[in-house]
Amino acid sequence: MRAIKARKVVGGTGRGEAMVSLEPICFLGGVDVNTGMITEKGHPLEGRSIKDKVLIFPIGKGSTGGSYLIYETVCNGMGPVAVINLKADPVTVTGCIISEVPMVVDPGENVFDLIKDGDMVEVDGDAGIIRLE
Amino acid sequence: MRLTVDEEEMLAGKRGRVYQKAMQILFQLGEIYGAEKMIPVSNVHMPGASVIVAGKAGTRLVEEMAKEGGIFAVSTTLNPAAGDFNTWQEIGFAREDMELQERLTGGYREMGAVPCHTCTPYLTGNIPRKGEHVAWGESSAIAFANSVLGARTNREGGPSALAAALVGRVPAYGYHLDENRRGQVLINVNTELNGPWDYGTLGYWAGNIVQERVPVFKGIPWSVSLEELKLLGAALASSGSVALFHVLGVTPEAPDLETVFGGSEPVQFLEYTEEAAVETVTRLNKHKGDRVDLVAVGCPHASIQEIGQVAEMLRGKRLADNTDMWILAALPVKTMADRMGYTKEIEAAGAQIVCDTCPVLGSTAAVVKKRGYRSLATNSAKLAHYSPGSWNLDTFYGSINRCVKAALSGRWS
Repeated sequence: MRAIKARKVVGGTGRGEAMVSLEPICFLGGVDVNTGMITEKGHPLEGRSIKDKVLIFPIGKGSTGGSYLIYETVCNGMGPVAVINLKADPVTVTGCIISEVPMVVDPGENVFDLIKDGDMVEVDGDAGIIRLE
Repeated sequence: MRLTVDEEEMLAGKRGRVYQKAMQILFQLGEIYGAEKMIPVSNVHMPGASVIVAGKAGTRLVEEMAKEGGIFAVSTTLNPAAGDFNTWQEIGFAREDMELQERLTGGYREMGAVPCHTCTPYLTGNIPRKGEHVAWGESSAIAFANSVLGARTNREGGPSALAAALVGRVPAYGYHLDENRRGQVLINVNTELNGPWDYGTLGYWAGNIVQERVPVFKGIPWSVSLEELKLLGAALASSGSVALFHVLGVTPEAPDLETVFGGSEPVQFLEYTEEAAVETVTRLNKHKGDRVDLVAVGCPHASIQEIGQVAEMLRGKRLADNTDMWILAALPVKTMADRMGYTKEIEAAGAQIVCDTCPVLGSTAAVVKKRGYRSLATNSAKLAHYSPGSWNLDTFYGSINRCVKAALSGRWS
């Protein structure tokens, strides 16, 4: 097992399959709150669901309304189990806090090299550690 | 970021989950924007007070926080709702939106917010003074608070304003700090401005150029009115994302050039001319024919003086058949209009004062569909900016006189 240090943002532990996007994700208009499906046209993850995934993307984008939509997706049981971002942005950070989704940012190593789609990953938001199995 | 013992305890969850979440939001925003500490705010103006913005999720969050015992630490006013609570059925706002709105407003009220539902809280008693730290949402109100009143606020979104109301603090960054409040762009106003509408046009032109920088206007007389400054700020925050502007010799942080620019040189000089004004008005007019279905004044919400002006112009007259007219205002301002006899005159002409909401934040799409509106006339650059894209309406932009004339004739002339 390999452990990567990261800055903790939201506590708790989430474990699941990695879903990796090199592109930013916009939750306002980009994700269906009822299915967890990415709906943004032309997005590399278009048509795939974030449900129960450890969602890994560089940074969020879009308006503050996006925070509420993360919350709604999670309330509907369609949210990710954890989020890893390279850089913190207000929308995703706020969304994960109100939805209680474990979240870390600024990983100490290049997660895009080390983690591939479908790998089992655990995010420990209390310790600020990403564990790869 | 350095936190006090009290703030640390909230962050650790010692005051429960609601306050922990609120403090987490503010702490993380502080980390993102490089704040060194938290500062107390004395009041909050809450955006996301309409279900059109907050949606089901925002409503659920507010309800849950109220249920878990959240109480606002500071005085809090609410931005416009999805419709007028008294006349929504008659006007045609959507029932499902209003039912959800009752829940959202109820949740906020339970935590202590005043449900004035207005974008002009400064006309209904929320008037922070110079140097006072506050947490406000609503772009036009933010511009007014920072610029005209000299209070200090960042551009708060729904969740951050909610968090600030709960803990009574915000991270100290952005417009809370002296160094970010200085002027950046100097704008020489080189044409005569006659009335509020002209100020909206100036703001729309300037906002488009300066974007998020801080403009300083030179050449605006000291006699400029509250309504003129209100429309100037609203327009600046529509075509750009201006949160703070200064008017030399008028607004509290701009006594002279040296002070307002903090001893530095402006990064840009602009000249506002008659040609720029004409070009801006042309840009905001997006219509094919001349038929006007709806006339809307009061974006931002009308003052008692503006309502009086409209009442006078409508006195003894009737609106054209198939043309409606809304004067949007806060409920306490309408109450004053009732006492002045303005409401009676306005209603006798077939127009109405609409409270608690506005076209931009209300469930306007439902009204437009139900009443078959195809065009809108307004004296607000902000509303003219949003109207074509939001509801696909032919849009007429002109002075309040021209708008009232259109309401009476049904045509733009």
